[in-house]
Amino acid sequence: MTTFSFSLHIGETGPLVKGSEPDRLRIPIPCHTPILAEGDQVLAGTKIAIANHDGSGDMHAPLAGTIKDILPESMLIKVSGKDRAKAKKPPAEDGETIREWLRDLGVSVKNITRSTTLIINAVPPEPGISIYEPLLRDYRKTLELGLETVQRIVESSKIFLAAAKGNRANAFANCTVLHVTPIYPNGLDEIVVKTVTGQEMLPGTLPDDTTILSVKDLYFIGRVMETGRPITETILTIDNQNHLIRVGTPVGFLVAESGTMVQPGDRIVMDGLMRGLTAINLEQGVDKDTTSLQLIREDKGLKPTDNFCLGCGECERHCPARIMPGMISRCAEFKQFERAENFHIHSCIECGICGYWCKAQRPLLQYIRLAKYELALLRETKTPSQPLVEFIETGQNGEKE
Amino acid sequence: MIQQLEPILTVSPPPHVHCGRSIKGYMSETLMALLPAVVMAIYIFGIDALRVMALACTVAVITETICSKLMKREQAIDDFSALLTGLLFAFLLPASSPWWLVTIGAASAIFLGKMIFGGLGANPLSSPLVGWAICRISWGGFMDTNATMLTSSLAAPLQQLKYFGLQSIQSIQSSSLILGEQLGGLGEVQIAALLAGGVFLLIRRHIRWEIPTGFIAGILVTAWIYQLIDPTTYASPLFHLLAGGTLFGAFFLATDPASSPIGCIPSVLFGLTAGAMVIIIRVYGIYPDGVPFAILLTNLFTPLFDRIRPKPFGGPHKLMQKGMEDAT
Ligand code: SF4
Ligand code: SF4
Repeated sequence: MTTFSFSLHIGETGPLVKGSEPDRLRIPIPCHTPILAEGDQVLAGTKIAIANHDGSGDMHAPLAGTIKDILPESMLIKVSGKDRAKAKKPPAEDGETIREWLRDLGVSVKNITRSTTLIINAVPPEPGISIYEPLLRDYRKTLELGLETVQRIVESSKIFLAAAKGNRANAFANCTVLHVTPIYPNGLDEIVVKTVTGQEMLPGTLPDDTTILSVKDLYFIGRVMETGRPITETILTIDNQNHLIRVGTPVGFLVAESGTMVQPGDRIVMDGLMRGLTAINLEQGVDKDTTSLQLIREDKGLKPTDNFCLGCGECERHCPARIMPGMISRCAEFKQFERAENFHIHSCIECGICGYWCKAQRPLLQYIRLAKYELALLRETKTPSQPLVEFIETGQNGEKE
Repeated sequence: MIQQLEPILTVSPPPHVHCGRSIKGYMSETLMALLPAVVMAIYIFGIDALRVMALACTVAVITETICSKLMKREQAIDDFSALLTGLLFAFLLPASSPWWLVTIGAASAIFLGKMIFGGLGANPLSSPLVGWAICRISWGGFMDTNATMLTSSLAAPLQQLKYFGLQSIQSIQSSSLILGEQLGGLGEVQIAALLAGGVFLLIRRHIRWEIPTGFIAGILVTAWIYQLIDPTTYASPLFHLLAGGTLFGAFFLATDPASSPIGCIPSVLFGLTAGAMVIIIRVYGIYPDGVPFAILLTNLFTPLFDRIRPKPFGGPHKLMQKGMEDAT
């Protein structure tokens, strides 16, 4: 446990490996509304669900097959056949037209908005996640195309590439490279925005004239432009190797491929060890924004306790948001969620560092997330989690044509 | 997702890695830091010191067990926190303390100092000091090291300063103070041993530099000011640093996690205030040694100190209600 290092330095990484085809896909759709029904046949690239939230990309079938099961949080596709949906032609118009075209093909366009400064985040989000390295090295063309496309919407005058000191990062045209100290959490968007613009923004918001995208975003936008086909893949670091994996590939399949045996009680962490969530079982499929898969043996991982907070202040001293996680967790523990606001809970960037240092091994990040969620419910600021009916209808009709 | 449930995975919130520290580790390393002083106390005060320490620790552990039972709480004596409280309390007692005093004090340190507020981490005051204060106020005569140990040949620097003035302490050597050759609480006067323990805690990062530094600086500066005012009545800063429980307070009592502030600046201010208070009590108070009361008093201000906070990231911010948003 203590061998964990916060360094974001990435050594040599191999090329991007294409993942093999599973026989079933379990596509996560917790924030999507399915537009097809059980038993429907899909082609690779058929739209299967549309996003509930503005700016999120729609979901498409990565492979051809039959929809076997639709649950609130996932859709099971039995893979069969090789047919692909027709590729689409990118529109010639700039701005909103191409933005909507991208979103329709699964790109999350939340951050692709007109602004004067565009930041490309090439800093590893968490230690050990090297997904950007092979992209920056081997897929320049695709990244450049992606950046060009993004610029048709963003039209920024200044482009920054933020990279961790010591890691590879060659600038694009007209782009300034900015090096950040390669220590977690310096790769999180909030901190990168602060390093580049000098402005501290509340987590979840951006300065008015600035937007931030990751190298992975650029890569997939480039891919969509090249092929005219939707995003149905993600890039995962598994054992220091980067893989191009279809969305919905069950984690059990991936772990088996990597030659490891899962024992009862192990945990499979999707994303980094500081922030990642665990898979609930081996059938859970990877999502579009999953960045890594790590297996933690039963005796290795941190087991959170319900110990009381000692008030030692370790968490506070390491918190990059300069707040008091201990006090916030006490508020959450006793369901005094509104009190948590007095301790500036909304400044938390959810990096997980407090939980790493807590002597009492309290699940601090979980308490904070719980309190944030309860506050949002309390203040009714949650956006409705249903897309408009028209969207569902056009989605369905559009696909049936 | 019911199909193929085997093997059952652990589902747990992030982070999944940890620095490896635990409450038990913290408590046992603090106990280790106290060990040299324990040895010194036995060496100087003899088997009596051992008796007091053993009794205080036993009573503390038993009291916590009973309290947890009554409160229907999971037993947590294996985290050694009760043991630590008991030992810290014993350090403040004279080696001659009668058994009933030790018992009452240790029991109230745990019960009134800690469990009544909800247990470990919830105590607003340093728990060993609560026990000490109760004994001191109720049975002052038994707590007075000078009166109860008349047979000893050791000097009692703070009492002499208080009752006989500056002249009486001129003969006391700093070096003998450092080696613990003074009357006082059996452990609190083991200056050299406590210093070693304090440095160990600092190196292991169980305590931070802010509170001890602030505390010692507070003592030195305040004592120095008094000395400037009148060098013939007030003792030197160095004397105040080495006499009584100053260093014990600086490294072990003021740094109690629950009752001290959290941030860096608040901690420094907390230390400075407590240090200054020590000298003020020593000069004007009715008790010779001001350390315990100074720390107890300053504990009361901890919530105030904790309000000194840096600006939160991107904030401050409160979620608005929908209606409120429209109104603004
Ligand atoms: S997760 Fe913890 S350490 Fe990170 S910003 Fe939030 S409160 Fe601070
Ligand atoms: S590190 Fe843990 S025990 Fe210490 S103050 Fe923070 S929450 Fe409390």
